[in-house]
Amino acid sequence: MRISGIKAILNVKKFGPEDQGQRQGLCNGAYILIFLCLSVFVARLWYLQIINGAEFRQKAERNRLRIVRLQPPRGKILDRNGRLLAGVKPCFNICIVRKDVKNMEALLGRLLPLLNEQESAVRVRLRASLQQPGYIPAVIKRGADWDEISRVEARLADLPGVVIEVTPGRKYPYGSIAPHLLGYLGELSQADIDANRFPKAQPGDLVGKYGVEARFQSQLAGIKGERRLEVDSRMMLKRVVSEKKPVAGDDVYLTIDVDLQMAAEEGLGDEVGAVVALEPSTGRILAMASTPKFDPEAFARGVTVKEWKILNDPLYRPMRNKAIQEAYAPGSTFKIVMACAALQERVVDESTQFFCNGFFKLGRRTFRCWDWRGHGQTNIYKAIVQSCDVYFYNVGLKLGVDRIARYAHGFGLGYRTGIDLPGEQRGLIPTREWKRKRFHEAWQKGETLNISIGQGFVLTTPIQMASLISSVANGGDIYRPQFLEKIVGPDAKVIESFTKDKKGHIPVSARNLNIVKNALKGVVQDRHGTARRCRIKGIEVAGKTGTAQVIKQTKRRQSEKMAWKYRDHAWFVAYAPADNPKIAVAVLVEHGGHGGSAAAPIAKLVIERWLQLISPKPVLMPQRRADSSLHHMAHRLS
Amino acid sequence: MFDKRYIENFDWWLFLAVIGIMVIGFINLNSASAATGYHFQYKQLEWYALGLIVMFGFMCFDYHVIPSLAGYIWIATVILLVLVLFMGKSVGGSQRWLSLGFMRLQPSELAKLSTVMVLSSWFYKDEREQYRIRDLWKPALLTLIPAVLIQRQPDLGTSLLLLALFASIVYIAGIRWTSVILVFTTLMAAMPLAWKLLKPYQRRRIESFLNPESDPFGAGYHVIQSKIAVGSGQFTGMGYMKGSQAQLKFLPEVHTDFAFSVWSEEWGFIGDMVLLSLYAILLARGIAIAQESKEPFGSYLAFGVTAMIFWQMLVNIGMVTGLMPVVGVPLPLISYGGSSVLTTMMGIGLLLNVRARRFMFH
Repeated sequence: MRISGIKAILNVKKFGPEDQGQRQGLCNGAYILIFLCLSVFVARLWYLQIINGAEFRQKAERNRLRIVRLQPPRGKILDRNGRLLAGVKPCFNICIVRKDVKNMEALLGRLLPLLNEQESAVRVRLRASLQQPGYIPAVIKRGADWDEISRVEARLADLPGVVIEVTPGRKYPYGSIAPHLLGYLGELSQADIDANRFPKAQPGDLVGKYGVEARFQSQLAGIKGERRLEVDSRMMLKRVVSEKKPVAGDDVYLTIDVDLQMAAEEGLGDEVGAVVALEPSTGRILAMASTPKFDPEAFARGVTVKEWKILNDPLYRPMRNKAIQEAYAPGSTFKIVMACAALQERVVDESTQFFCNGFFKLGRRTFRCWDWRGHGQTNIYKAIVQSCDVYFYNVGLKLGVDRIARYAHGFGLGYRTGIDLPGEQRGLIPTREWKRKRFHEAWQKGETLNISIGQGFVLTTPIQMASLISSVANGGDIYRPQFLEKIVGPDAKVIESFTKDKKGHIPVSARNLNIVKNALKGVVQDRHGTARRCRIKGIEVAGKTGTAQVIKQTKRRQSEKMAWKYRDHAWFVAYAPADNPKIAVAVLVEHGGHGGSAAAPIAKLVIERWLQLISPKPVLMPQRRADSSLHHMAHRLS
Repeated sequence: MFDKRYIENFDWWLFLAVIGIMVIGFINLNSASAATGYHFQYKQLEWYALGLIVMFGFMCFDYHVIPSLAGYIWIATVILLVLVLFMGKSVGGSQRWLSLGFMRLQPSELAKLSTVMVLSSWFYKDEREQYRIRDLWKPALLTLIPAVLIQRQPDLGTSLLLLALFASIVYIAGIRWTSVILVFTTLMAAMPLAWKLLKPYQRRRIESFLNPESDPFGAGYHVIQSKIAVGSGQFTGMGYMKGSQAQLKFLPEVHTDFAFSVWSEEWGFIGDMVLLSLYAILLARGIAIAQESKEPFGSYLAFGVTAMIFWQMLVNIGMVTGLMPVVGVPLPLISYGGSSVLTTMMGIGLLLNVRARRFMFH
């Protein structure tokens, strides 16, 4: 037996029966251990792959895919003739993809010296970005200049996680023009996110925050695209997985005219005030200016604390659109309403005369006419042309406050005009009822006298007065002032276009209105008219001046001798040409003094410019320098 | 010398399981190689072929000669392990390879099998009913010397594996329960001391195992990425060569330690079940061979080899699925590596050897 031979050589020991039994048991133990361990693995794999598989696959996708947002070019804002007011230019943003940053502090230490940006500002943006997933680039410097871009670009290899993103930014070919109407863009803020004001926007996006930019945000914004890139663990691009092209925003054409707008803004110059110019036959806003202006680009860039202080100066209020957001006593411009009411209610007729000796006695109180010398025998024509207060004191007493209020309401005063911008003021037309509710007091006759000359409780906004004079000009139709000419999609399809919106008709007969209109012509054209400064050779202009007191003056003082903030507000409302009105303008100059001297020249500038623009002959009035009145104003201010 | 019964007792189930694992290993390395850009799969194919030859070699001689050679085997192993510390090639911070010209030998891999053979021989020669602690100082020393040398490389995974092999063979040789409890409590008490002996990167790995999210870019990175890879396989997998974690290099060491993650990602739960079943067959056959052997040495040897494969599989799959800390232990026959493949195949050869010669005592 060979085998037993080998056994003998190697001295092989065989198990005894007891050993055999013990070993069986131990091996069974091993089976159990193996079975248990494999079961744990099966359970673990079940847990990872079946229960949480979808989640892990998503994580793998996030590893592999980088999403690059493709910002659509924002829609342009253009004037009625298609001239660009707000366009698009490339804006370079320096971003951090947080997911790819291993040591943020070290990265910031290398990145910050390359940027002209305060560290705190960068950290604030970085913190805000924690809201969104780490693979979305967080903008830490918006609108970086070429120096910064080239510095960062050169060291990009040492700055893992830093990317330079090109997004469309705004450009303003005319600079800051009609900023209160156009509005501005700002970065999506935390408050916006919390209030879900811009559901489609992501942190770092610029959104319309004011004016047209805000009103037509959804049309202007366009539709974002995205490019999905596959990268490997070293962030090397492997391929483009998919791409969704962005869709450009719609272009918004406004009813305003750049040249006219510039005329209005030039006319206001350094004054604080507002100009609204309407097309009387439709309610189109041809110009809407408010001063001081602001720079819309500052908001996209991020406003500094210092700038913010200036923008919110309580005296000049650059952020307020004074054309619609501020209400002022209308002063003598309110006499248009008074005259219409008096004629329509037959408390006077064309020939009714009151004697003005410079003041009016009501009980023991004396109410002055602005001209202390008095106007003598005064009929309605003379009362409007020379703006006689005493005539309207008499008329006011006969009409009573409630009838005055009814007519004022009939002209749209005391109500919002309905312009499609937020924050429009209503102004105020007082009634007995109103005073009882507001002050728990009875109406005083003296107060009727005050409102008869547009003082006291009466408050109107420049756009209300523009609407008023526009309806006088067009024979009585009240149109809602609108600034949207049309919206045009990227495929040149017109999505929305202007349609006039007639809100009503003033409660005055054509005959009576013509009496008033005739007088308004006299205001500008007559030798004694208060608005002779607005005369334009060859064109008949009709208008009405107004001078609204800011503080109670017991003695007439020269406006120029008072502190600026106590000076009167100057009003002028006008339309031209008088027989076939093409433009209606309301001008308000805060603390400008007399309407005839401060406001009328601005209106003249605007009217002149408009008539030139729409004239088939390019030069209507060759002998006049368009800026002569500006020189005058500049002289007066200095 | 060749008896007909050698063929009759050839363990086809075990052999086919090994071939099955090799097929999966090659398929998987083909994908992993595409990710790394090196052609590991063909090199591995050579190792498989060489491994099969070595397996038949280890099957042919009578395994009973091993006890008489155990002393030389141990000394040779220790010499290799000492050599590697002085003239080994350093890769990734640890010195594990000896350059032999045609291949780079990893003596720590061989040490696994040699420990199994040496310990089996020792317990076979020193046969007792049951062992007490004080009876074990000699085999403990036989294990600890190579284990400490391997830990010096450093290679925590393999040195711990040697200790696990020691425990496994002590278990099959028979030990008193009271002794087990004593050893266990001593080990628990020694844990803080062991912690101090670990290198900082080894500590970090254990720390990051306990809380991988604490440092997603540092030590925890590998586990997180591996779990993402395994999990994203879902039921049927991402598809062959389509695993993004592996192909886009988010997964580290796709051809060695994390080869299982690649398989899981691309073949999903189904693929994992296939592979685990093959391992289950392999291990069950190994234990069965240990059980069927009529004499203690064959039984110890078969048990030790099975334990060697089992512990490696346990630690590797445990690691890549986030159940265990990251210690570099290859998955037998799946991970790329010549020394590992050859060692495993030698072990398989020994298993077949023991099985083929079980009739010797009829």
